[in-house]
Amino acid sequence: MSLVNKIIAEHSELDTVDENQIVIVDVDRIYLQDGNSPTIRKLFRDYQFNKVFNPDRIAVFFDHSVLSPNIDISNRLKEALDFCNQFGLRFFNQGDGISHLVAIEEEWFTPGNLVIATDSHTCTGGVMQSLALGMGASDVVAAMVSGKSWLKVPETIWIKTVGIPSTFATAKDVMLYALSCFGDRKFLYKSIEWYGDWVENISFDEASTIANMGVEMGAKCVFLPPWKCSPSSMQKIIPEHQEKTIELNIEGLLPYIAAPNSPYNSKVITEFSNEKIDYVFVGSCANSRLEDLAEISTILKAKKIHKDTRLIVTPGSKKIYLDAINNGYVQTIIESGGIVTPPGCGSCVGTQGYIPASGDKVLTTMNRNFLGRMGNAEASIWLASPRVAAYTAIKGEIPNLQDMQYDSI
Amino acid sequence: MILSNLNIVKVSGIISTDDIIPAHYKHKFTEPKELAAHVFENKFPNLTKKFIKNTVIVSDATFGIGSSREQAVSSLLAAHVAAIIAPSFGRIFFRNCWNLGMAAIEADLYSLIVQKELCIDLDKSHIGFSNKVIPFQALPSKLINVFNAGGLLKYIKDSSLSTY
Repeated sequence: MSLVNKIIAEHSELDTVDENQIVIVDVDRIYLQDGNSPTIRKLFRDYQFNKVFNPDRIAVFFDHSVLSPNIDISNRLKEALDFCNQFGLRFFNQGDGISHLVAIEEEWFTPGNLVIATDSHTCTGGVMQSLALGMGASDVVAAMVSGKSWLKVPETIWIKTVGIPSTFATAKDVMLYALSCFGDRKFLYKSIEWYGDWVENISFDEASTIANMGVEMGAKCVFLPPWKCSPSSMQKIIPEHQEKTIELNIEGLLPYIAAPNSPYNSKVITEFSNEKIDYVFVGSCANSRLEDLAEISTILKAKKIHKDTRLIVTPGSKKIYLDAINNGYVQTIIESGGIVTPPGCGSCVGTQGYIPASGDKVLTTMNRNFLGRMGNAEASIWLASPRVAAYTAIKGEIPNLQDMQYDSI
Repeated sequence: MILSNLNIVKVSGIISTDDIIPAHYKHKFTEPKELAAHVFENKFPNLTKKFIKNTVIVSDATFGIGSSREQAVSSLLAAHVAAIIAPSFGRIFFRNCWNLGMAAIEADLYSLIVQKELCIDLDKSHIGFSNKVIPFQALPSKLINVFNAGGLLKYIKDSSLSTY
């Protein structure tokens, strides 16, 4: 049985479920983020819901607006905090980190459990083989009140990675390449299970990036194979139907970059080399983990970022931030001329600084570059790996492969 | 239910929820009317002038990819959009549409329609314009029930959670 069928069946009163079947499921955990919790508070009031099914299983994260930039957002955050206290919900305050990363650290995602949250990148939980679903406010309110939700069982597609990328490329490059191959429609409402030599041997941090961008592929949910030291209850991924397996050939893959204004505008780095970049942002739930910070620190060591380029780095969680301080990464980044901000979603959605200037060209490790994503529709955004981001910050331009060779990573 | 005399507004290209309502506004406002003033302001700055009562957006590409923000639907509703017809939808957006009482119909009609109005028959699963009737795949009864109730939370409230 595919992982999604197995988990849905285990959370319903059914032994087995079939593709397209509508099933009512029990929800194990629910979390909210600060961009939607004020609306959820309003919906609770509008519909006069006065209890939740289990406050211990519901958390609210304050991650999108860590340092609130204006009165309106501050007022909404205050409302959200009042809501937490009214219903006795657990909350993770400003500075604790991005919901999806902290939810993994706090073991809210476990293999085989079912988690619903008000953020599309909840699919990151697929790195733990959790059925992790992003939903809108009304669906989440319904689950908060009832402890249940309804699902249409999605079709499962298996992606087999074939080959090993070049030493220049990372998991982020594999994902950007996959988006360029598959586009926006191929996996709409599908469950994706990844397997193959490369994906079965990457680190937890890299696997998290692949899981995180499952929603960019259009998927309902995504499951990664076990990684080094993963929980023993995670299972090896074996395709059930050969005709539902798609091969992704990544042999010798070079870095990929998505040009403005879509993750699907992804091409090999050499197409964009020497493009001047004003602002580099390393952060977001796609790439803000300790390995990402270690990598940029290695590249920036004893170097200065380009005088005309701004580098802002936002660690994904408080734990990652503290580890990065203890390992010397933060010091290296600061000494190179970069700015390290408190943990959270950082500059990803334009709800806090640094908002790019009009005409700015931004290169970032985020997962989306839609028009206006960072708060200014007159800025243009390129998506790339942390490795490419660090070299870009030094050169002030998108690097060519020679620029990326002087350090062996 | 039949949605009739829908005013057609066409849009072209993939539409993300960031295009519909930029993220930072949902952190500022919880009232859909306040959000409606900013619908499509980056992607199609003057488009909302065409949104009169009972507008249907007809798209030629995937509509509503990206974020889970339900405000992408609530702000369109507040801007007088009652239905969206597109060849495919971002799946969280699709679900949000029906949850809030917005008809989201999967059909590729962009190049067929030159009229100003159309109607959608949800029970018979077809779209009508001029003398043409174009069928679409029947929707799960769950979605129709939620829609007919006036949205998911009304549906749940009215049924005292018995449906869950």
